[in-house]
Amino acid sequence: MAPPVAQTIHRDPALFYWILLPITVVMIFTGILRHYAQTLLQSGPKKQPVRLLRQQRSLMRGVNLRTNANVLSPSSFQTRKAYLVSAFQDGAFLADPENRGKPRGNPMSDPAMMEGMMGGMKANVAMMVPQTLIMGWINAFFSGFVISAFAPARLVKLPFPLTPQFKSMLQSGVGTRDLDVRWVSSMSWYFLTLFGLQPVYTFILGNNNAASQVTQQMAQMNPGAGMMGPDQDPDKLFLSEAENLEVVEHRWILDGVEDRLLARSK
Amino acid sequence: MLPEERELALNPIVQESVQHNKRTLLNTRNMTASLFGVAAGTLGLESYPGFLFYAVLSVLVSALVHFVAADGRPERYFYRPGRELWAGEVLGPLSSYVLTWTLFYGLVRA
Repeated sequence: MAPPVAQTIHRDPALFYWILLPITVVMIFTGILRHYAQTLLQSGPKKQPVRLLRQQRSLMRGVNLRTNANVLSPSSFQTRKAYLVSAFQDGAFLADPENRGKPRGNPMSDPAMMEGMMGGMKANVAMMVPQTLIMGWINAFFSGFVISAFAPARLVKLPFPLTPQFKSMLQSGVGTRDLDVRWVSSMSWYFLTLFGLQPVYTFILGNNNAASQVTQQMAQMNPGAGMMGPDQDPDKLFLSEAENLEVVEHRWILDGVEDRLLARSK
Repeated sequence: MLPEERELALNPIVQESVQHNKRTLLNTRNMTASLFGVAAGTLGLESYPGFLFYAVLSVLVSALVHFVAADGRPERYFYRPGRELWAGEVLGPLSSYVLTWTLFYGLVRA
């Protein structure tokens, strides 16, 4: 095979303005649009009955007491611990005192679970649909440059070399076969901007934005942060929490604070 | 109670501050990566020198953050400075570097 000659092809500068910039602008705007669409489509937290709420929150209270026990004074901690342990063991916070000993019902029949799952799927759909739409649009409009009004057939030269396998993906719509891989079509510009604009989204929309792909993938991996409660028997949860509270060793952080203060000011 | 737990109880790590520091660092990295892409494209750097340029300059940015922004004491701002300050996020800033690099390379080299 002949050694690859450095290929420089004269490029019409108008090509640049009419293709690169529109694609970039469109992608930025759809990203912002996606973010706002998802924010508006999000259903707020469901209103739950008071007893269910009380059950969940009192469990959280037990966990918080355990985590932050050392900030409280010993007597204060002991009072709270005694109250919570006795309340947990009596089941005073249960939403359903009659069902105390029975096993949990089928989770699929519980309407609260379905809402949670549908919310997650809606977010996925809201992300996938615009991406496929844009890809189709770009394919339709920006392909086949050989027959277009602009003389040269390719768009942008990548500064770094890629293996030949990428050619079919990145040069779709270009007639010549033995073109150097570094010249790529507009589809590849789409991919470049897809990955490269995520920091820009983070910068414009603040963190926690819905247009960034990485946060999307991470959100898919933590679907059930708030859905653990109905799955397990709340009575068992309370009892295990009561046991955890019993074994907490309390070391007050203000113990010996006078020595630390004096040591610091020395 | 273990000594580390005691130490953490006495000098707690505030989650909000940690996140704020991380975000600032990430923003700095992203912005400088875009600007370095512009520089690399304008200079007409090719494949290996281009990536080398990015590596050297991102180490420079980390060093600047270490010495100037954190006053040479990064452990006050980051829990594990080696992992977060020097070897932090790479993929995000790299992709914006490549984006602006390609853009300006095509623009300038004509």
